[in-house]
Amino acid sequence: MDGHVTVSHLEKVYQSGEEETKAIEDLSFEVEGGEFLSVVGPSGCGKSTLLYLIAGFLDVSSGEIAVDGKTVEGPGTDRGVVFQDYALFPWRTVMENVTYGLEEKGYDEEEQQTEAQRYIDMMDLTGFEDRYPKELSGGMKQRVALARTLAYEPQVLLMDEPFGALDQPLREALQDHLLDIWRDLNKTVVFITHDVEEAVYLSEKVMIMTRHPGTKKEVLDIDLDRTNSREEIITSQEFSDVKNDVWKLLHEETDTEVRA
Amino acid sequence: MAGATSEVSDVLSGELPAPVEFVVRWFPLVIVALLWELASGWVVAESILPAPSAVFLTLVEMFASGELIAALGISLYRVGIGISLSIAVGVLLGIGIARSESVENFFDIFLALLYPVPKTALVPLAILWLGRGTGTAILIIFLACLLPVVLNSYNAARGVDQNLIWSAQMMGTSDRRILWKVIIPDTIPNIVTGIRQAIPIAFIALTGAELIGASDGVGAIILSAGQLGLYPRMFAAIVAISAAAFFVLRGFDEFERRVFVWV
Repeated sequence: MDGHVTVSHLEKVYQSGEEETKAIEDLSFEVEGGEFLSVVGPSGCGKSTLLYLIAGFLDVSSGEIAVDGKTVEGPGTDRGVVFQDYALFPWRTVMENVTYGLEEKGYDEEEQQTEAQRYIDMMDLTGFEDRYPKELSGGMKQRVALARTLAYEPQVLLMDEPFGALDQPLREALQDHLLDIWRDLNKTVVFITHDVEEAVYLSEKVMIMTRHPGTKKEVLDIDLDRTNSREEIITSQEFSDVKNDVWKLLHEETDTEVRA
Repeated sequence: MAGATSEVSDVLSGELPAPVEFVVRWFPLVIVALLWELASGWVVAESILPAPSAVFLTLVEMFASGELIAALGISLYRVGIGISLSIAVGVLLGIGIARSESVENFFDIFLALLYPVPKTALVPLAILWLGRGTGTAILIIFLACLLPVVLNSYNAARGVDQNLIWSAQMMGTSDRRILWKVIIPDTIPNIVTGIRQAIPIAFIALTGAELIGASDGVGAIILSAGQLGLYPRMFAAIVAISAAAFFVLRGFDEFERRVFVWV
């Protein structure tokens, strides 16, 4: 159970009446257990669709998605999604949101509290246990969402532009927080973003997708010294080289979009 | 112009101390009551428009004799049962229609037909089936309240964020339990809004039904007093039922505010 994700010859067709729209075409890739993969692509390339297919929220049209060799046939607790709009349960407090998955796992009340508290503390939410989501800022909501997903211990984290709605300093703080957690907990992460810098900074691999219908254009290995500070990484020559490579590949796609 | 407007709204929206707020709020009522008091027996004959003081005295008498309390008890019981039934049926129907196409297909036509019917027009039919009295009043209240409850529950259940449902599913909630774990808690605040809309409708339906469909309750007092020309008594009953509706609504608002703290 190490969270190895295999996507093979994936195709997703949306049907609306007579019309068929191919969102994803012949897409194959793998994410090793514990690996951090970012997916970038022009808007409408089906990157969110890909994430929801892996999550099991949507059905594949053909091809296969498997996690640790087991074909995905619907949502399951081996995978956890973090949504851009947080998707917290508004009627539950921070604590009750984080315990949700543990309740569903059948933990008793005390275990739920102890486990949830660990993740609440990990996400710097200590003291906010009894607040309702409406009382929290966007950054805090996203931390609660992350705590809620981590608490039931899925092996694979699927993140759909989770920091897209936050301002720059907050986004950077959460990126570093996520990296710490990823290192400590050894999760597999599939991270959707349209922000090239974010993708390169966070990931071990970046997959660039083609424009409509979406498929793999290229996967780049990102080999940065992660022991360095953010400032050292961001300002390094290596970083801007990789960033430029990703940017160029991505813009080949957005250029076709402009011409089309 | 813009400056003047904002000045005016500043004056109005400023926080007033509670006692001042109270006076400002009730002052218009006091003015109208005073004008009414003056007009009665001077501009309009007292026999047609009894003075508020006379109405008030009659009201006190009717309370003291226990007559009004008994009538209010009967009327509020009918409202309570009628609304409760409309909630029980309306919430399930509204959610059912929102979440299942076959339920929608079946009930759609009935709701579309029921919608424009003035419910009090059905009182004679209800009397034929259920006789005069509580059954008739409850049926009319139930029918009148059903639609606002159904519509609000429907809209609420329609509006459940797909990501919330997915979140629950990924954490292991089965499709069957999604209803209880996500859809119902997420829709309750909006369902309650529908119930709140149903409260004044229930009182309207109640009075309409009791006027001809019952021999007891506040509506029956209004009609009999009117027929006998006992106008202070008629007004007193109208005031009593209006006040009851007002306080029920106020109480409900307070309940809503305290229970749905997350909204």
